[in-house]
Amino acid sequence: MDALQRLGAHLETRLGSLEEAKRQGRKVIGYTAGGYLPEELVLACDAIPIGYVRAGDNNILRDAGSYICRWIDPFWRSQIGYLTSKKDPYYNIADLIVVPITDNHARAFSNTIVFYTPEVESFVFGVPHVKDELALGYYLDGLKRLKNKLERFTGIRIGKQGLKKAIELCNRERELFSQISMLRKANGNVVPSRDFIALHHGSFLADKEVMVDVLESYLKEAKKREPSADNVPRVLLTGSTLGDGDTKVLDLIEDCGGMVVMEEFAEGLRPYWTSVGLEDDPMAALAKAYLMERVCPGWFRPGTERLDFLVELVGDYRASGLIWYQLMYRESYKVESYFFPQILKQKTGLNMLVLESEYDTAAELGTMRTRIETYIETIRT
Amino acid sequence: MNSKSTKNDPKLFAGVDVGAATAKAVIIGDNGILGYAVRSTGHDVKIAADAVMQEALEKSGLDVDVSDLAYIVSTGYARRTLQFAHKPITEIICHAKGANFLFPDCHFIIDMGGQDSKAIEVDDEGNVVNFVMNDKCAAGTGRFLEVMAHVLDVEDIADMGPLALSSRHPCSISSTCTVFAETEVVVLRGAGKDRADLIAGVHRAVSSRVAVMAKALTIRPEAVFTGGVAKNAAVKKFLEEAIGMELHVPEEPQIVGALGAALLAREEATRLPAVETIESELPHR
Repeated sequence: MDALQRLGAHLETRLGSLEEAKRQGRKVIGYTAGGYLPEELVLACDAIPIGYVRAGDNNILRDAGSYICRWIDPFWRSQIGYLTSKKDPYYNIADLIVVPITDNHARAFSNTIVFYTPEVESFVFGVPHVKDELALGYYLDGLKRLKNKLERFTGIRIGKQGLKKAIELCNRERELFSQISMLRKANGNVVPSRDFIALHHGSFLADKEVMVDVLESYLKEAKKREPSADNVPRVLLTGSTLGDGDTKVLDLIEDCGGMVVMEEFAEGLRPYWTSVGLEDDPMAALAKAYLMERVCPGWFRPGTERLDFLVELVGDYRASGLIWYQLMYRESYKVESYFFPQILKQKTGLNMLVLESEYDTAAELGTMRTRIETYIETIRT
Repeated sequence: MNSKSTKNDPKLFAGVDVGAATAKAVIIGDNGILGYAVRSTGHDVKIAADAVMQEALEKSGLDVDVSDLAYIVSTGYARRTLQFAHKPITEIICHAKGANFLFPDCHFIIDMGGQDSKAIEVDDEGNVVNFVMNDKCAAGTGRFLEVMAHVLDVEDIADMGPLALSSRHPCSISSTCTVFAETEVVVLRGAGKDRADLIAGVHRAVSSRVAVMAKALTIRPEAVFTGGVAKNAAVKKFLEEAIGMELHVPEEPQIVGALGAALLAREEATRLPAVETIESELPHR
C-alpha cells in the first residue's frame, strides 16, 4: 500500500475513530479555512483538530440558500450548507467550531452558526489585515482567548511543554510538505498536483501523527520516481480557494496538456513554508509564525508580499503559465485580480489567465475549457 | 477547381465553427476560400455541423463530400463533439488566425457572437498573445440585442442597427445586464421615449460593455470586428467611439472563426508527413 492509499484507508475509518475518541472523553475541534488557526493549541489539550475545506458541489449551495444570500462566496456558502443541512459528518461530530475571522465571508459563516445552529458551540477571533506590533498583539490576544476557551472546554491545561511538543509535530508536517513541494522544482512530474492536493486536503482530517507518517512515506516514494518527460507547459495555479472536491480546473489544465507544478491558495491548502520557533514563549512564537512570518494570502495585505512571493515561485518552479482561480463574490480577490495580471506581466513576462467559478459545473466547464485550452496553446507557441 | 477531386484531396481543407446561435463552415484550397455556409445551430449541434459542411461544399462547386477533405478543424463550443473533424481548436485561436488572414496588419480582435464576446490580442503571425472573454451572461452579446429587439417590437434583428443610427438623441441605458436593461427600456418606453432613441441607447450600452472588457488588453491597430454582431453598423460605430479606434469589419464577419479553423487545418495537414499514414491515430475521426 503506497502513502496515498494509506491516507485514503485512514480517512475511510476516520469518523469511526473520532467517535471512539469522543467516547473516551476527547473533544473534536472543527475549524474553518484560511490557515490562521494554530492546530498546535488544539493538539496540546489532547483534542482533535478537523479543518473544513470541502467544497465544489453546487447542490450544497442550494441548501445554503435558505440561510444566506447569494453574495457570499460559494466556498463559504458550501460551509454554511454543510453545517445547516447536517450533510457533512465532520460538522456533525465537532464539539466546538473555531472561526478565525479573516473577512466578511468567514464572519457570515460564524454568524450562521450562532443564529441558525445555536446547539453548535463556536468561538471566533479576529485576524488583522496588516502586519505590525499592534496587529501582532491583537492576534496574540485572540490566540490567548482561544487557549483559555480550549482549556475550559477540554478541562486540560495547555502547558509550555505540551505546546512545544505539538509545535514540533506540526513543524514536522510543514517541513515534509515543503520538502515534497521542492521536489517539484526539478524536471518531470515526480509529485503530481493531484497527489499534492490530496495530501493537503487529507491533512485537514487525518490524525496528525498518521499524517506525518504518510508524508514521510510519500517523500521517500517521490524521491524514487523517475521524472516524466517535461515538455509540457508548467503552470502555477493560484487564487483564493481550492476546496476538497473542486477539481475541475486541475482536470481541465491536465486535459488540455498542461502540468500544475505549484498551487498557492489562501484557503483549502495548508501554509507550510514557515516553521514555528521553539523559543521560551510558545504562544508568542505561534502568533509570530502564523501572522507575521507566513505569506499573507491577501495580495496587498500588507504591501505586495504575496505578489512578490508568487513572482519568486514562478522563477523557482519555472512556471511558463500562471492561472488565477477565484470564486464568485469574493470581492477582495476580485478587486485585486484587476491589478495583478498587469503587475505580474511586468515582473515575469507571463500573461495571467483569470478564471472564476460558482461551482456551477454544467455552465462553467465549456467556457473554462475554452479559456484554459487557449491559454495553454498560447504558452506552447 | 471544379473537377472531381480524389479521396482525401491533399488540397482541400475545412473549418467548421458550431457556435451557440449559428454554425459556420468554410472550405479552402491552396489559394483561398472555395465556399462557405452559415446556418442556425438549432437543437442538435451534430445535425447543424453536418448540414453546414454539406452546404459549404455545395457552394464551393466541388463534387466532393466531407470524407474527401484532407483535414478538418472544428471550433466553437461544440468543437469536441464533431466526429468528422480531425482536431478541435478553440474559437479564440481560430478567430485570431482568420482575422490575421483577412487583415494581415490585424493586432486586435473584438468578436461578438450570439452568446459570448471576446477581445483578443494577436501577434504579427496571428497567434494569440492574450485574451478576455465574456460568457457568464448575455450582456455584451448578440442575445442582448435580440431580447431588446423583441421588447421594442423590431421583427428583423437586421433592422436594429439602421434604426439605432437614425436616432438623434440616444437614451441613456445604464444597465448592461440583459434583464435589468429590459426593465429600464420598458420604463423609458412607458415614459414616451422615441423608439429609435431607445434602440440607440441599447446599442450604446452593449458596445460599452464590450469596450470595457476589451480595454483590459492592449488595443493596437489594426483592430478587427468579427462575429454576427459585427454586421450591425451601430454597434461598430459605438464600439469605435468607446475604444477610440477604427474597427475593420470583414465582408462576412460571421465566418472568421471557421475560416481560421480551415487555415489551421491546412497548417496541420502541412505539418503531417502524410495524412493517410496517421489517420488511424486521429482522435476525432
